[in-house]
Amino acid sequence: MRETASLSCRVYRLLLAAYPAEFRREYGSSMLQVFRDSSRAAKTSEGKLATGKFWLAILGDLVVSASKQHIENVREVNGPMNNMRRDLLAVMGCSVIILTAFLLLSYGRAHEVGSLLVFGRVLDAVVFTGVVGNLIVFLLVKLTRWDSFRIACWIFLVVSALPALLLALIGSRIDPQFRLGATMLAYVVSFIFWILLHYLWRSTSRNVLASS
Amino acid sequence: MIKKRNPDEFLPLTPAMFHILLALADRERHGYEIMREVAERTEGKVRLGPGTLYGSIKRMLNDDLIEELDERPDPELDDERRRYYRLTKLGHRVAVAEAERLAQLVKAARAEKLLSAQKVQS
Repeated sequence: MRETASLSCRVYRLLLAAYPAEFRREYGSSMLQVFRDSSRAAKTSEGKLATGKFWLAILGDLVVSASKQHIENVREVNGPMNNMRRDLLAVMGCSVIILTAFLLLSYGRAHEVGSLLVFGRVLDAVVFTGVVGNLIVFLLVKLTRWDSFRIACWIFLVVSALPALLLALIGSRIDPQFRLGATMLAYVVSFIFWILLHYLWRSTSRNVLASS
Repeated sequence: MIKKRNPDEFLPLTPAMFHILLALADRERHGYEIMREVAERTEGKVRLGPGTLYGSIKRMLNDDLIEELDERPDPELDDERRRYYRLTKLGHRVAVAEAERLAQLVKAARAEKLLSAQKVQS
């Protein structure tokens, strides 16, 4: 009986090679011990047929759990890299949008291009709320576990409403040609623009996560 | 900033994970004890294999739902190679949240007369 038990253990020890090396190093000896105990219990309590049933269950468990460990391993390796790539892509995307808006505005002002200056206030608002809003959103997403889209909604609401309110109060005193309606519209358009981008970003992230 | 994790993030648990949390609810146990407790509790209907058991243990250790004990509770009574595990506070909260989730499901099944129908059949 002891010989059979040790033979079973030797076979199981060999089968443990199906698991990833790291998992085997960490849990291999514990699994072998559990196998030894279970094998002993199966033999003493359930008779001769039990050995076949026991091995069938062990092999089923081995195939399923070893596959899961290999899949988890791949995810553990790719996960942080994918997150870093996504963060980098988001920061680069925002920077390109803000820089483009800023350059268009500067070019329009320098060369007095009327067609660009029509959108001057919107570009102004996109640049300002984009820089401030995205910076705060990025920090909050990294430091808390709140939903990123919800964070974006609240932050962009605040960073759009505050300057719009401030300009509404003091704009006409600073600039006699100040137009309240156009400024408000610019901040509303800028708010919708950034929220839409964050919504699209979240939707694509979820699709990527679901398919991985 | 310390992040307090919401138990609902972990739900639904896999059946193996919930069985392990249940087995560790009253006291610390080693792997084979967990396996036996699960088999006894389910009258032999659920038998965790070594791979499923330690795969789930690894995941639960990573998620901070359970922790490994530094010392064995009864060093004289068992093999020194055995590794003991116990629930963490988060693990306990997750077990409660999962139990409540399942209780809601049972309530819904009862409301749909699915449970009473089963009783009539048996």
